[in-house]
Amino acid sequence: MPLVNIDNVHKYYGDNHVLKGIDLRIDAGEVVSIIGRSGSGKSTLLRCINGLETYSEGGIIVDQMEVTDDDSQIRKLSKSVGMVFQHFNLFPHLTVGQNITLAPKLVRKLSAEEAAETAREVLQKVGLQDKFDSFPGELSGGQQQRVAIARSLAMRPKVLLCDEITSALDPELVGEVLKVLETLATEGMTLILVTHEMNFARDIGDRVIFMHQGKVWESGEAKAVFANPQTPELQTFINAVL
Amino acid sequence: MSAFTDWDILRNLLLAARWTVALSLIAFAGGALVGLLLTFMQISGRVVLVQMTRLYVELFQGTPLLMQLFLVFFGISLFGIDVSPWTAAALALTLFSSAYLTEIWRGCIESIPKGQWEASRCLGLNYVEVMYHIILPQALRIAIAPTVGFSVQIVKGTALASIIGFVELTKAGTMLNNATFEPFKVFGFVALIYFLLCYPLSVASRMLERKLHASG
Ligand SMILES: Nc1ncnc2c1ncn2[C@@H]1O[C@H](COP(=O)(O)OP(=O)(O)OP(=O)(O)O)[C@@H](O)[C@H]1O
Ligand SMILES: [Mg+2]
Repeated sequence: MPLVNIDNVHKYYGDNHVLKGIDLRIDAGEVVSIIGRSGSGKSTLLRCINGLETYSEGGIIVDQMEVTDDDSQIRKLSKSVGMVFQHFNLFPHLTVGQNITLAPKLVRKLSAEEAAETAREVLQKVGLQDKFDSFPGELSGGQQQRVAIARSLAMRPKVLLCDEITSALDPELVGEVLKVLETLATEGMTLILVTHEMNFARDIGDRVIFMHQGKVWESGEAKAVFANPQTPELQTFINAVL
Repeated sequence: MSAFTDWDILRNLLLAARWTVALSLIAFAGGALVGLLLTFMQISGRVVLVQMTRLYVELFQGTPLLMQLFLVFFGISLFGIDVSPWTAAALALTLFSSAYLTEIWRGCIESIPKGQWEASRCLGLNYVEVMYHIILPQALRIAIAPTVGFSVQIVKGTALASIIGFVELTKAGTMLNNATFEPFKVFGFVALIYFLLCYPLSVASRMLERKLHASG
Protein backbone atom coordinates (compact mmCIF):
# COMPACT_ATOMS: atom_id res chain seq x y z
CA MET A 1 0.00 0.00 0.00
CA PRO A 2 1.49 3.39 -0.99
CA LEU A 3 1.88 6.00 1.73
CA VAL A 4 -0.12 8.52 -0.26
CA ASN A 5 -2.84 7.30 -2.55
CA ILE A 6 -4.65 9.89 -4.64
CA ASP A 7 -7.47 8.47 -6.67
CA ASN A 8 -9.26 10.44 -9.38
CA VAL A 9 -9.43 13.67 -7.39
CA HIS A 10 -11.43 16.57 -8.75
CA LYS A 11 -11.60 20.04 -7.28
CA TYR A 12 -13.67 23.05 -8.22
CA TYR A 13 -13.48 26.65 -7.07
CA GLY A 14 -16.97 27.71 -8.10
CA ASP A 15 -17.04 27.02 -11.82
CA ASN A 16 -13.28 26.82 -12.04
CA HIS A 17 -12.34 23.15 -12.50
CA VAL A 18 -8.93 23.24 -10.87
CA LEU A 19 -8.05 19.56 -10.45
CA LYS A 20 -9.32 17.30 -13.20
CA GLY A 21 -8.95 13.75 -12.05
CA ILE A 22 -5.58 13.40 -10.34
CA ASP A 23 -4.22 9.88 -9.83
CA LEU A 24 -1.03 9.56 -7.86
CA ARG A 25 0.62 6.95 -5.68
CA ILE A 26 3.60 7.85 -3.57
CA ASP A 27 5.59 5.31 -1.59
CA ALA A 28 7.29 5.88 1.72
CA GLY A 29 10.74 7.37 1.22
CA GLU A 30 10.05 8.84 -2.18
CA VAL A 31 11.01 12.40 -3.04
CA VAL A 32 8.47 13.74 -5.49
CA SER A 33 8.69 17.16 -7.11
CA ILE A 34 5.61 18.79 -8.56
CA ILE A 35 6.37 21.32 -11.24
CA GLY A 36 4.22 23.30 -13.63
CA ARG A 37 3.06 26.75 -14.64
CA SER A 38 1.36 29.16 -12.29
CA GLY A 39 -2.29 28.26 -11.85
CA SER A 40 -1.88 24.65 -12.93
CA GLY A 41 -3.15 23.42 -9.57
CA LYS A 42 0.05 22.44 -7.77
CA SER A 43 -0.72 24.14 -4.48
CA THR A 44 -4.30 23.02 -4.57
CA LEU A 45 -3.27 19.40 -4.97
CA LEU A 46 -0.77 19.67 -2.14
CA ARG A 47 -3.33 21.27 0.15
CA CYS A 48 -5.83 18.52 -0.60
CA ILE A 49 -3.39 15.94 0.68
CA ASN A 50 -3.63 17.14 4.29
CA GLY A 51 -7.20 18.35 4.28
CA LEU A 52 -6.44 22.07 4.07
CA GLU A 53 -8.64 22.08 0.97
CA THR A 54 -11.63 19.88 0.33
CA TYR A 55 -12.03 18.02 -2.93
CA SER A 56 -15.29 17.33 -4.66
CA GLU A 57 -14.74 13.90 -6.14
CA GLY A 58 -12.39 10.96 -5.78
CA GLY A 59 -10.45 9.96 -2.71
CA ILE A 60 -7.17 10.52 -0.93
CA ILE A 61 -5.72 8.09 1.55
CA VAL A 62 -2.61 8.95 3.52
CA ASP A 63 -1.00 6.49 5.89
CA GLN A 64 -4.19 4.44 5.78
CA MET A 65 -6.33 7.39 6.79
CA GLU A 66 -8.95 8.87 4.53
CA VAL A 67 -8.45 12.60 4.09
CA THR A 68 -11.57 14.54 5.00
CA ASP A 69 -12.10 18.03 6.35
CA ASP A 70 -13.54 16.60 9.53
CA ASP A 71 -11.86 18.24 12.54
CA SER A 72 -10.84 15.09 14.34
CA GLN A 73 -9.60 13.56 11.10
CA ILE A 74 -7.41 16.59 10.40
CA ARG A 75 -5.99 16.26 13.88
CA LYS A 76 -5.19 12.61 13.26
CA LEU A 77 -3.69 13.40 9.88
CA SER A 78 -1.43 16.04 11.40
CA LYS A 79 0.55 13.25 13.03
CA SER A 80 1.34 11.75 9.63
CA VAL A 81 1.48 14.74 7.30
CA GLY A 82 3.53 17.86 7.88
CA MET A 83 3.43 20.99 5.78
CA VAL A 84 5.86 23.83 5.16
CA PHE A 85 4.72 27.04 3.49
CA GLN A 86 6.24 29.60 1.20
CA HIS A 87 5.92 32.31 3.85
CA PHE A 88 6.99 30.15 6.81
CA ASN A 89 3.88 31.00 8.87
CA LEU A 90 5.77 30.83 12.12
CA PHE A 91 3.92 32.14 15.17
CA PRO A 92 5.55 35.54 15.69
CA HIS A 93 4.52 35.91 19.34
CA LEU A 94 6.13 32.62 20.37
CA THR A 95 9.79 31.74 20.64
CA VAL A 96 11.32 29.18 18.33
CA GLY A 97 11.10 26.64 21.12
CA GLN A 98 7.44 27.43 21.79
CA ASN A 99 6.66 27.32 18.08
CA ILE A 100 8.01 23.81 17.93
CA THR A 101 6.71 22.39 21.21
CA LEU A 102 3.14 23.71 21.02
CA ALA A 103 1.60 21.09 18.75
CA PRO A 104 3.49 18.09 20.16
CA LYS A 105 2.19 19.05 23.60
CA LEU A 106 -1.40 19.71 22.52
CA VAL A 107 -1.83 17.09 19.84
CA ARG A 108 0.69 14.38 20.63
CA LYS A 109 0.21 14.91 24.36
CA LEU A 110 3.91 15.03 25.08
CA SER A 111 5.02 16.39 28.43
CA ALA A 112 6.82 19.74 28.45
CA GLU A 113 10.18 17.97 28.90
CA GLU A 114 9.55 15.47 26.14
CA ALA A 115 8.44 18.24 23.79
CA ALA A 116 11.48 20.37 24.60
CA GLU A 117 13.69 17.35 24.04
CA THR A 118 12.06 16.79 20.66
CA ALA A 119 12.42 20.48 19.82
CA ARG A 120 16.15 20.44 20.56
CA GLU A 121 16.56 17.36 18.43
CA VAL A 122 14.75 18.77 15.38
CA LEU A 123 16.50 22.13 15.76
CA GLN A 124 19.79 20.28 15.73
CA LYS A 125 18.72 18.60 12.53
CA VAL A 126 18.17 21.97 10.81
CA GLY A 127 21.31 23.42 12.38
CA LEU A 128 19.65 25.95 14.67
CA GLN A 129 20.05 24.44 18.13
CA ASP A 130 21.23 27.82 19.48
CA LYS A 131 17.99 29.58 18.45
CA PHE A 132 15.66 27.85 20.90
CA ASP A 133 14.84 31.06 22.76
CA SER A 134 14.88 33.46 19.82
CA PHE A 135 11.75 34.95 18.34
CA PRO A 136 11.05 34.35 14.64
CA GLY A 137 11.42 38.07 13.95
CA GLU A 138 15.05 37.89 15.05
CA LEU A 139 15.95 35.30 12.42
CA SER A 140 16.79 35.53 8.74
CA GLY A 141 14.32 34.19 6.21
CA GLY A 142 16.37 31.07 5.68
CA GLN A 143 16.55 30.44 9.41
CA GLN A 144 12.83 31.00 9.79
CA GLN A 145 12.10 28.49 7.09
CA ARG A 146 14.39 25.97 8.76
CA VAL A 147 12.51 26.52 12.01
CA ALA A 148 9.27 25.94 10.13
CA ILE A 149 10.67 22.66 8.86
CA ALA A 150 11.75 21.75 12.37
CA ARG A 151 8.29 22.57 13.68
CA SER A 152 6.76 20.16 11.18
CA LEU A 153 9.31 17.48 11.96
CA ALA A 154 8.52 17.66 15.67
CA MET A 155 5.16 16.08 14.90
CA ARG A 156 7.04 13.05 13.54
CA PRO A 157 5.27 13.07 10.17
CA LYS A 158 5.69 10.31 7.63
CA VAL A 159 5.43 12.73 4.75
CA LEU A 160 6.36 16.38 4.47
CA LEU A 161 4.53 18.65 2.02
CA CYS A 162 6.49 21.70 0.89
CA ASP A 163 4.86 24.44 -1.18
CA GLU A 164 7.55 26.56 -2.85
CA ILE A 165 9.38 26.88 0.41
CA THR A 166 12.36 28.69 -1.07
CA SER A 167 10.44 31.10 -3.31
CA ALA A 168 10.21 33.89 -0.73
CA LEU A 169 13.88 33.71 0.21
CA ASP A 170 16.76 35.88 -0.91
CA PRO A 171 18.83 33.85 -3.37
CA GLU A 172 21.75 33.47 -0.99
CA LEU A 173 19.49 31.85 1.62
CA VAL A 174 17.95 29.24 -0.67
CA GLY A 175 20.89 26.89 -0.36
CA GLU A 176 20.67 26.36 3.40
CA VAL A 177 17.03 25.35 3.14
CA LEU A 178 17.59 23.00 0.22
CA LYS A 179 20.46 21.48 2.18
CA VAL A 180 18.05 20.59 4.98
CA LEU A 181 15.65 19.03 2.48
CA GLU A 182 18.48 17.03 1.02
CA THR A 183 19.42 15.72 4.43
CA LEU A 184 15.84 14.72 5.07
CA ALA A 185 15.69 13.00 1.70
CA THR A 186 18.80 10.94 2.40
CA GLU A 187 17.40 9.99 5.79
CA GLY A 188 14.41 8.49 4.03
CA MET A 189 11.76 11.11 4.69
CA THR A 190 8.95 11.13 2.16
CA LEU A 191 8.86 14.54 0.53
CA ILE A 192 6.30 16.04 -1.82
CA LEU A 193 7.58 19.37 -3.05
CA VAL A 194 6.02 21.98 -5.22
CA THR A 195 9.13 23.69 -6.45
CA HIS A 196 10.71 25.97 -9.00
CA GLU A 197 14.16 24.69 -8.09
CA MET A 198 14.60 22.53 -11.16
CA ASN A 199 18.14 21.50 -10.30
CA PHE A 200 16.98 20.25 -6.94
CA ALA A 201 14.06 18.40 -8.52
CA ARG A 202 16.37 16.74 -11.00
CA ASP A 203 19.29 15.92 -8.74
CA ILE A 204 17.68 15.09 -5.41
CA GLY A 205 14.17 14.10 -6.44
CA ASP A 206 13.19 10.56 -7.35
CA ARG A 207 10.21 11.50 -9.42
CA VAL A 208 8.85 14.56 -11.15
CA ILE A 209 5.21 15.33 -11.72
CA PHE A 210 4.46 17.94 -14.34
CA MET A 211 1.05 19.47 -13.86
CA HIS A 212 -0.77 21.30 -16.59
CA GLN A 213 -4.33 22.60 -16.60
CA GLY A 214 -5.29 20.66 -13.51
CA LYS A 215 -3.95 17.33 -14.73
CA VAL A 216 -0.84 15.27 -14.22
CA TRP A 217 0.35 15.96 -17.73
CA GLU A 218 3.55 14.00 -17.55
CA SER A 219 5.51 12.22 -14.86
CA GLY A 220 8.43 9.93 -14.45
CA GLU A 221 11.87 9.38 -13.02
CA ALA A 222 13.35 12.79 -12.32
CA LYS A 223 16.41 12.79 -14.55
CA ALA A 224 14.57 11.14 -17.41
CA VAL A 225 11.76 13.67 -17.33
CA PHE A 226 14.17 16.56 -17.69
CA ALA A 227 16.33 14.81 -20.27
CA ASN A 228 13.47 13.52 -22.37
CA PRO A 229 10.25 15.48 -22.03
CA GLN A 230 7.52 13.65 -23.93
CA THR A 231 4.96 16.41 -24.35
CA PRO A 232 5.40 19.78 -26.06
CA GLU A 233 3.94 21.47 -22.97
CA LEU A 234 6.66 20.12 -20.70
CA GLN A 235 9.27 20.91 -23.32
CA THR A 236 8.12 24.52 -23.45
CA PHE A 237 8.04 24.68 -19.66
CA ILE A 238 11.54 23.30 -19.24
CA ASN A 239 12.92 25.62 -21.89
CA ALA A 240 11.30 28.55 -20.14
CA VAL A 241 12.64 27.81 -16.67
CA LEU A 242 16.06 26.34 -17.31
CA MET B 1 -21.71 91.36 39.11
CA SER B 2 -20.76 87.78 39.38
CA ALA B 3 -19.87 86.39 42.74
CA PHE B 4 -17.76 83.75 41.04
CA THR B 5 -14.03 84.12 40.83
CA ASP B 6 -12.08 82.30 38.14
CA TRP B 7 -10.96 79.90 40.78
CA ASP B 8 -14.58 79.19 41.77
CA ILE B 9 -15.44 78.39 38.19
CA LEU B 10 -12.47 76.13 37.75
CA ARG B 11 -13.02 74.40 41.07
CA ASN B 12 -16.66 73.66 40.28
CA LEU B 13 -15.75 72.41 36.85
CA LEU B 14 -13.07 70.15 38.25
CA LEU B 15 -15.50 68.74 40.79
CA ALA B 16 -17.96 68.01 38.00
CA ALA B 17 -15.18 66.53 35.90
CA ARG B 18 -14.96 63.74 38.46
CA TRP B 19 -18.33 62.57 37.15
CA THR B 20 -17.11 62.73 33.60
CA VAL B 21 -14.22 60.51 34.61
CA ALA B 22 -16.47 58.16 36.58
CA LEU B 23 -18.95 57.88 33.73
CA SER B 24 -16.10 57.27 31.26
CA LEU B 25 -14.63 54.55 33.43
CA ILE B 26 -17.97 52.81 33.89
CA ALA B 27 -18.75 53.06 30.19
CA PHE B 28 -15.34 51.74 29.28
CA ALA B 29 -15.38 48.88 31.77
CA GLY B 30 -18.97 47.97 30.98
CA GLY B 31 -18.37 48.32 27.26
CA ALA B 32 -15.28 46.17 27.44
CA LEU B 33 -17.12 43.48 29.37
CA VAL B 34 -20.12 43.37 27.05
CA GLY B 35 -17.81 43.80 24.07
CA LEU B 36 -15.75 40.82 25.16
CA LEU B 37 -18.87 38.71 25.39
CA LEU B 38 -20.02 39.88 21.95
CA THR B 39 -16.58 39.26 20.50
CA PHE B 40 -16.66 35.69 21.73
CA MET B 41 -20.14 35.28 20.26
CA GLN B 42 -18.80 36.60 17.01
CA ILE B 43 -15.85 34.20 16.83
CA SER B 44 -17.90 31.26 18.05
CA GLY B 45 -18.67 30.45 14.43
CA ARG B 46 -22.35 29.84 15.31
CA VAL B 47 -24.34 31.55 12.59
CA VAL B 48 -27.14 32.71 14.88
CA LEU B 49 -24.77 34.23 17.43
CA VAL B 50 -22.69 35.89 14.73
CA GLN B 51 -25.75 37.44 13.11
CA MET B 52 -27.16 38.63 16.42
CA THR B 53 -23.87 40.31 17.17
CA ARG B 54 -23.71 41.89 13.73
CA LEU B 55 -27.21 43.29 14.18
CA TYR B 56 -26.34 44.69 17.58
CA VAL B 57 -23.20 46.36 16.28
CA GLU B 58 -24.93 47.78 13.21
CA LEU B 59 -27.77 49.11 15.34
CA PHE B 60 -25.52 51.02 17.71
CA GLN B 61 -23.11 52.18 15.04
CA GLY B 62 -25.92 53.29 12.78
CA THR B 63 -27.74 55.55 15.24
CA PRO B 64 -26.57 58.71 17.01
CA LEU B 65 -25.41 58.27 20.58
CA LEU B 66 -27.86 60.99 21.59
CA MET B 67 -30.81 58.91 20.34
CA GLN B 68 -29.49 55.92 22.27
CA LEU B 69 -29.37 58.05 25.40
CA PHE B 70 -32.92 59.29 24.88
CA LEU B 71 -34.20 55.81 24.18
CA VAL B 72 -32.62 54.40 27.30
CA PHE B 73 -33.63 57.34 29.48
CA PHE B 74 -37.19 57.77 28.31
CA GLY B 75 -37.68 54.24 27.07
CA ILE B 76 -37.09 52.59 30.39
CA SER B 77 -39.37 55.03 32.20
CA LEU B 78 -42.15 53.91 29.86
CA PHE B 79 -42.06 50.58 31.65
CA GLY B 80 -42.71 52.40 34.88
CA ILE B 81 -39.13 51.99 36.03
CA ASP B 82 -37.56 55.16 37.28
CA VAL B 83 -34.08 55.60 35.89
CA SER B 84 -31.76 58.28 37.10
CA PRO B 85 -29.83 60.23 34.47
CA TRP B 86 -26.69 58.59 35.87
CA THR B 87 -27.99 55.06 35.32
CA ALA B 88 -29.34 55.90 31.88
CA ALA B 89 -26.11 57.54 30.80
CA ALA B 90 -23.97 54.70 32.14
CA LEU B 91 -26.17 52.13 30.44
CA ALA B 92 -26.38 53.92 27.09
CA LEU B 93 -22.66 54.60 26.98
CA THR B 94 -21.92 51.00 27.91
CA LEU B 95 -24.07 49.72 25.05
CA PHE B 96 -22.55 52.25 22.68
CA SER B 97 -18.95 51.48 23.54
CA SER B 98 -19.52 47.73 23.59
CA ALA B 99 -20.66 47.90 19.97
CA TYR B 100 -17.63 49.88 18.87
CA LEU B 101 -15.18 47.79 20.87
CA THR B 102 -16.68 44.61 19.42
CA GLU B 103 -16.12 45.99 15.95
CA ILE B 104 -12.56 47.06 16.73
CA TRP B 105 -11.70 43.68 18.23
CA ARG B 106 -13.29 41.74 15.40
CA GLY B 107 -11.12 43.71 13.00
CA CYS B 108 -8.02 42.85 15.03
CA ILE B 109 -8.84 39.16 15.09
CA GLU B 110 -9.55 39.10 11.38
CA SER B 111 -6.33 40.94 10.62
CA ILE B 112 -4.26 37.96 11.75
CA PRO B 113 -2.95 36.44 8.52
CA LYS B 114 -4.67 33.37 7.15
CA GLY B 115 -1.31 31.60 7.16
CA GLN B 116 -1.42 31.47 10.96
CA TRP B 117 -4.64 29.48 10.75
CA GLU B 118 -3.30 27.20 8.07
CA ALA B 119 -0.08 26.45 9.89
CA SER B 120 -2.02 25.73 13.09
CA ARG B 121 -4.44 23.43 11.30
CA CYS B 122 -1.60 21.53 9.68
CA LEU B 123 -0.15 20.99 13.13
CA GLY B 124 -3.47 19.49 14.21
CA LEU B 125 -4.67 22.26 16.53
CA ASN B 126 -8.44 22.51 16.84
CA TYR B 127 -10.44 25.73 16.61
CA VAL B 128 -10.32 26.56 20.30
CA GLU B 129 -6.60 25.83 20.53
CA VAL B 130 -5.85 27.99 17.50
CA MET B 131 -7.87 30.85 18.96
CA TYR B 132 -6.40 30.56 22.41
CA HIS B 133 -2.75 29.96 21.59
CA ILE B 134 -2.28 31.68 18.24
CA ILE B 135 -4.95 34.16 17.20
CA LEU B 136 -6.08 35.90 20.38
CA PRO B 137 -2.61 36.61 21.81
CA GLN B 138 -1.64 38.29 18.56
CA ALA B 139 -4.97 40.08 18.19
CA LEU B 140 -4.68 41.38 21.76
CA ARG B 141 -1.42 43.12 20.95
CA ILE B 142 -2.89 44.80 17.91
CA ALA B 143 -6.05 45.74 19.79
CA ILE B 144 -4.42 47.73 22.58
CA ALA B 145 -3.69 50.92 20.64
CA PRO B 146 -7.11 51.33 18.94
CA THR B 147 -8.86 50.39 22.18
CA VAL B 148 -7.08 53.12 24.10
CA GLY B 149 -7.76 55.43 21.16
CA PHE B 150 -11.47 54.69 21.36
CA SER B 151 -11.54 55.61 25.04
CA VAL B 152 -11.16 59.21 23.84
CA GLN B 153 -14.50 58.85 22.04
CA ILE B 154 -16.06 57.62 25.26
CA VAL B 155 -14.80 60.59 27.26
CA LYS B 156 -16.16 62.99 24.67
CA GLY B 157 -19.37 60.96 24.42
CA THR B 158 -20.11 61.53 28.09
CA ALA B 159 -20.77 65.18 27.26
CA LEU B 160 -24.10 64.13 25.77
CA ALA B 161 -25.25 62.91 29.17
CA SER B 162 -25.65 66.59 30.05
CA ILE B 163 -28.72 66.69 27.85
CA ILE B 164 -30.66 64.27 30.01
CA GLY B 165 -29.67 66.30 33.03
CA PHE B 166 -26.68 64.44 34.37
CA VAL B 167 -24.31 66.91 35.96
CA GLU B 168 -20.91 66.19 34.53
CA LEU B 169 -18.37 68.56 33.05
CA THR B 170 -20.47 69.96 30.20
CA LYS B 171 -23.61 70.35 32.27
CA ALA B 172 -21.64 72.07 35.01
CA GLY B 173 -20.27 74.39 32.36
CA THR B 174 -23.76 75.26 31.17
CA MET B 175 -24.91 75.92 34.71
CA LEU B 176 -21.88 78.07 35.51
CA ASN B 177 -22.39 79.99 32.31
CA ASN B 178 -25.97 80.74 33.29
CA ALA B 179 -24.73 82.09 36.58
CA THR B 180 -21.74 84.07 35.33
CA PHE B 181 -22.62 84.99 31.75
CA GLU B 182 -19.03 84.42 30.79
CA PRO B 183 -19.39 81.73 28.15
CA PHE B 184 -15.99 82.17 26.60
CA LYS B 185 -14.17 81.76 29.87
CA VAL B 186 -16.38 78.96 31.20
CA PHE B 187 -16.43 76.87 28.06
CA GLY B 188 -12.78 77.61 27.51
CA PHE B 189 -12.10 75.94 30.83
CA VAL B 190 -14.47 73.10 29.96
CA ALA B 191 -12.69 72.48 26.68
CA LEU B 192 -9.33 72.64 28.42
CA ILE B 193 -10.33 70.01 30.95
CA TYR B 194 -11.64 67.70 28.21
CA PHE B 195 -8.41 68.19 26.40
CA LEU B 196 -6.36 67.36 29.47
CA LEU B 197 -8.38 64.17 29.88
CA CYS B 198 -8.22 63.11 26.25
CA TYR B 199 -4.78 64.19 25.17
CA PRO B 200 -2.82 61.73 27.31
CA LEU B 201 -5.02 58.94 26.00
CA SER B 202 -4.36 59.91 22.39
CA VAL B 203 -0.67 60.14 23.05
CA ALA B 204 -0.67 56.80 24.82
CA SER B 205 -2.54 55.23 21.94
CA ARG B 206 -0.08 56.57 19.41
CA MET B 207 2.89 55.49 21.47
CA LEU B 208 1.51 52.00 21.92
CA GLU B 209 0.80 51.85 18.24
CA ARG B 210 4.35 52.74 17.39
CA LYS B 211 5.91 50.55 20.05
CA LEU B 212 3.93 47.45 19.16
CA HIS B 213 4.53 48.08 15.51
CA ALA B 214 8.25 48.37 15.90
CA SER B 215 8.59 45.16 17.86
CA GLY B 216 5.89 43.33 15.94
N1 LIG C 1 -8.89 30.05 -2.62
C1 LIG C 1 -9.15 30.04 -3.93
N2 LIG C 1 -10.33 30.49 -4.40
C2 LIG C 1 -10.61 30.49 -5.72
N3 LIG C 1 -9.78 30.06 -6.66
C3 LIG C 1 -8.58 29.60 -6.28
C4 LIG C 1 -8.20 29.58 -4.90
N4 LIG C 1 -6.95 29.08 -4.80
C5 LIG C 1 -6.58 28.81 -6.06
N5 LIG C 1 -7.54 29.11 -6.95
C6 LIG C 1 -7.47 28.92 -8.41
O1 LIG C 1 -7.14 27.58 -8.65
C7 LIG C 1 -6.23 27.45 -9.73
C8 LIG C 1 -5.02 26.68 -9.28
O2 LIG C 1 -4.36 27.41 -8.26
P1 LIG C 1 -3.09 26.89 -7.52
O3 LIG C 1 -2.78 27.86 -6.44
O4 LIG C 1 -3.28 25.47 -7.13
O5 LIG C 1 -1.99 26.98 -8.66
P2 LIG C 1 -0.43 26.75 -8.54
O6 LIG C 1 -0.10 25.75 -9.55
O7 LIG C 1 -0.04 26.48 -7.16
O8 LIG C 1 0.10 28.17 -9.01
P3 LIG C 1 1.37 29.00 -8.46
O9 LIG C 1 2.58 28.44 -9.16
O10 LIG C 1 1.08 30.39 -8.91
O11 LIG C 1 1.42 28.85 -6.98
C9 LIG C 1 -5.94 28.86 -10.19
O12 LIG C 1 -6.76 29.12 -11.32
C10 LIG C 1 -6.36 29.73 -9.04
O13 LIG C 1 -6.84 30.96 -9.51
MG1 LIG D 1 1.05 27.55 -5.65
